[in-house]
Amino acid sequence: MSQIATPGRLTDPPTALSTAPAIAIRGLTLRFGGETLFENLDLDLEAGRFTVLLGASGVGKTTLLRIVAGLETPDGPGGSVRADDGRPLAGRIAWMAQQDLLCPWLDAAANVALGDRLRGRRPDRDRVAGMLASVGLDGRGGVMPAALSGGMRQRVALARTLYENRKVVLMDEPFSALDSPTRLRIQDLAADRLAGRTVLLITHDALEACRLADRLVVLAGRPARLIEHPVPPGPVPRRSDDAEVLAAQGALLERLAAGIG
Amino acid sequence: MKRAQLSTVLGPLIVGIAVLALWQAICRLWHIPPYLMPAPTDIAASLVANAVPLLHALRSTLLVTFAALLISVVLGVLAAFVLVQSRLIERSLMPYVIIMQVTPIVAIAPLIIILVKSTLPALIVCATLIAIFPIISNTLAGLRSVDPGLESFFRMHKASRLQMLWRLRIPSALPMFMAGLRISAGLALVGAIVAEFVAGTGGNSAGLAYEILQSGFQMDIPRMFAALSLITLAGLALYFAMALLERLALHRWHGQG
Repeated sequence: MSQIATPGRLTDPPTALSTAPAIAIRGLTLRFGGETLFENLDLDLEAGRFTVLLGASGVGKTTLLRIVAGLETPDGPGGSVRADDGRPLAGRIAWMAQQDLLCPWLDAAANVALGDRLRGRRPDRDRVAGMLASVGLDGRGGVMPAALSGGMRQRVALARTLYENRKVVLMDEPFSALDSPTRLRIQDLAADRLAGRTVLLITHDALEACRLADRLVVLAGRPARLIEHPVPPGPVPRRSDDAEVLAAQGALLERLAAGIG
Repeated sequence: MKRAQLSTVLGPLIVGIAVLALWQAICRLWHIPPYLMPAPTDIAASLVANAVPLLHALRSTLLVTFAALLISVVLGVLAAFVLVQSRLIERSLMPYVIIMQVTPIVAIAPLIIILVKSTLPALIVCATLIAIFPIISNTLAGLRSVDPGLESFFRMHKASRLQMLWRLRIPSALPMFMAGLRISAGLALVGAIVAEFVAGTGGNSAGLAYEILQSGFQMDIPRMFAALSLITLAGLALYFAMALLERLALHRWHGQG
């Protein structure tokens, strides 16, 4: 794991980081089994910042993410998801889920370059190797997912997200299946590598939220509303042993627990 | 060879030799006549003495088996692709696939032998009817077993229908298809033997089942056992061949590529 700790930003194509859009989510309604999960929900994702979304299970977080990703359409009329630069979001979004979503029949390098394959383009071997190296998997391109640990597989998924080089990154509890120390390292890695992109991160982990968030929102209640939660000071990623981070984590946990009732 | 590997080979070998030795001893000690229960050496002697007709019969049976297996794979996979296209198609057609499966082949075989004029195609049809079901059901389940998260990932990348099939559904279905193939290979042999029994054909396309029937009529019990042992050996060889094929197709999933 030691090789991850050496940051050093990989050179991306020049246009990559300069134009991360802000995203305006307006008037989303979601019903499930006759129940209204949320109604007329508005959320702004600031350009180039980490927005962290928390909330109890079943409150509709993942569906909200899938609507932003264009994988699902909101219930009822009037809901919209728009980028502030007026261009469509499709093709500008990368997505990371709780499961690594690696194809077990492809090696690590082929998984990283899967997007290129689907676009019918030749994968850039050097960039693939560079991305794998940047997540601490130097020279592991030929290894199959089954031979990698959970943490390594999630790092391959991160490398694939980075290879896609999208300005908007949606993450649905991407690190929740990892053990705590591994999670801490990969959070640092993600914060470093994804800096400057518009990120929406869903998590259950209050510490993760307090370490990574530029902005913290809690989705709670029925129908659910969004509640802003104060963010501890200092640049992202914040240290996990920082007193203010720990205090914020405690306050956040209390708020989430109160929401459960 | 490692200890575990050695014991997987050596263990069954010792059991087999012990059983054969016991069998031989009982036959010799109690002077059991060969037409009641032949000793292993009698069977081996018969196998050698009748090698030419028995191997010829084995060839016929294997021809039917492989033809049925091949047709089952082609038609079964095609059927699965058709069935997976929509729930409506699956609901409408699946009951008939199941009817085909639950009707005992011994009951339909005489019909097929009557309907299909020449013997060899009739035998192949019978064996195919038995062997095709695991291919259809396993391939169908495999095609449906795609990880929904992975499917979302492909959709986000605007994968075409063809890419979804080629890069996602087919690889996802491969493990279950291979498992189906292994079952199907065994069933194809069973189907071939059953069809031969029902058809009772002699002559040029006589298979091992005919050898067993014929030896029974002639009270040549050692020859009956010799034919039976060839069927068993053929079944074993088929099983190991399919297991090897499965390993070749899937080993990359389980470790270093």
